[in-house]
Amino acid sequence: MVKILADDWHVLTGSYALDALPDPERAEFERHLQHCPSCEAEVRGLRETAARLAMAQALQPPPGMEQRVLAATYRTRQLPPLPPERLPHRRVARRMAAFAAASVAAAVALGITQVSTQHRLVSTQASDAAISRVVTAPDARIETTRTPAGGSVTVVASAALREAVITSTGMVSPPAGRVYQAWVMSPSGARSAGLMADRSSLLASAVVPGDRIGITVEPAGGTSKPTTTPVAVLPA
Amino acid sequence: MPRMGGMSRPDIRHWQPPTEAEPDLAALVARVARGDHRAFELVYGELAGPVYGVVRQVLRDPAQSEEVAQEVLLEIWRTASRFDPARGSAAAWALTIAHRRAVDRVRSESAGSRREQKAATEMVPDDVAEVVAATLDHQRVRRCLGGLTELQRESIKLAYYGGYTYPQVAHLLGVALGTVKTRIRDGLIRMRDCMEVTW
Repeated sequence: MVKILADDWHVLTGSYALDALPDPERAEFERHLQHCPSCEAEVRGLRETAARLAMAQALQPPPGMEQRVLAATYRTRQLPPLPPERLPHRRVARRMAAFAAASVAAAVALGITQVSTQHRLVSTQASDAAISRVVTAPDARIETTRTPAGGSVTVVASAALREAVITSTGMVSPPAGRVYQAWVMSPSGARSAGLMADRSSLLASAVVPGDRIGITVEPAGGTSKPTTTPVAVLPA
Repeated sequence: MPRMGGMSRPDIRHWQPPTEAEPDLAALVARVARGDHRAFELVYGELAGPVYGVVRQVLRDPAQSEEVAQEVLLEIWRTASRFDPARGSAAAWALTIAHRRAVDRVRSESAGSRREQKAATEMVPDDVAEVVAATLDHQRVRRCLGGLTELQRESIKLAYYGGYTYPQVAHLLGVALGTVKTRIRDGLIRMRDCMEVTW
């Protein structure tokens, strides 16, 4: 398959909004949209514009159509609302991005800091500036997953910045004497990204495409290598 | 209980541009999602004209257009719970379904021979009695299309009203693929700004 460059993708927003992409390209572009907030925003505006083109061509519908459609509604079962965990990815992502930014702000405001004296396991606690830098990066990708420990973990990553912000929320407290520890996992092994506190964020640096972020339960103070199966693994 | 003043659904000929109707439409779709048939009648009143119009524009054949328009309106009933006001207006949501359904139908047809015989950029004539002419949208779209370059305008009309893919548009206009992609996007952005679309 021909490799499509980022700029080429962006120029397709117009054709996509007009349903003018042929089939394989349409599906590829939709996948691209998941990870391109600026493309998605542009598509939204162009979709509204296309709707005006449709409204300008409004026609009197054929007689009898209304009766047929209204009658059919009584025979047609409606789709139930989507349960929250099955919301389309992008919507969750947008919410989580907002939440991640807000939670970091809150963490900073509350003076929550990671204890990093015993080991140098705890990497930089994400600062407000760092998280907004990553979250607003043009290529920011957002992944979120629920965990068996309740709550969810969100990773906002920018390939260009080679950074990822890891945020957890609502996970049950680890057992006494245990902590949640985040890892950057690559084929060459796992390195610590720091200890997780609920509703605070960690900044992982030197993250490259293909790396994954994992969360494990570890002895207090953390370890240098993961010793348990991750409760969550997300692409970085 | 008698309906208010015994008034019937407004005639589609007096269909109001959604810039005014829009807040109500989103609220109506939310009621439809809860199974409110009366709300659906009102949504039908707002959207049946544009839905039928855009489907007819793409498909041309009146019988086929009616069939697809009915499917689309029923789809609006069925999937109302999936409409998310955070992601755009209710009209854009509905008309995206309508346009996509129409182009999917065209592209699934083996030969599409009926359409091929039609002049590519011919619009469904708007001086016939059934057309809702002189709506604010109609005038504004005409004016803004007039402000585009010839190539932008033809590309957009072929793609949207004609239902052609951009490679087909490039072929019909005898220009390079890259040129068509850029012209469609540039032209649509100009339309967006000219019509002061907010999103």
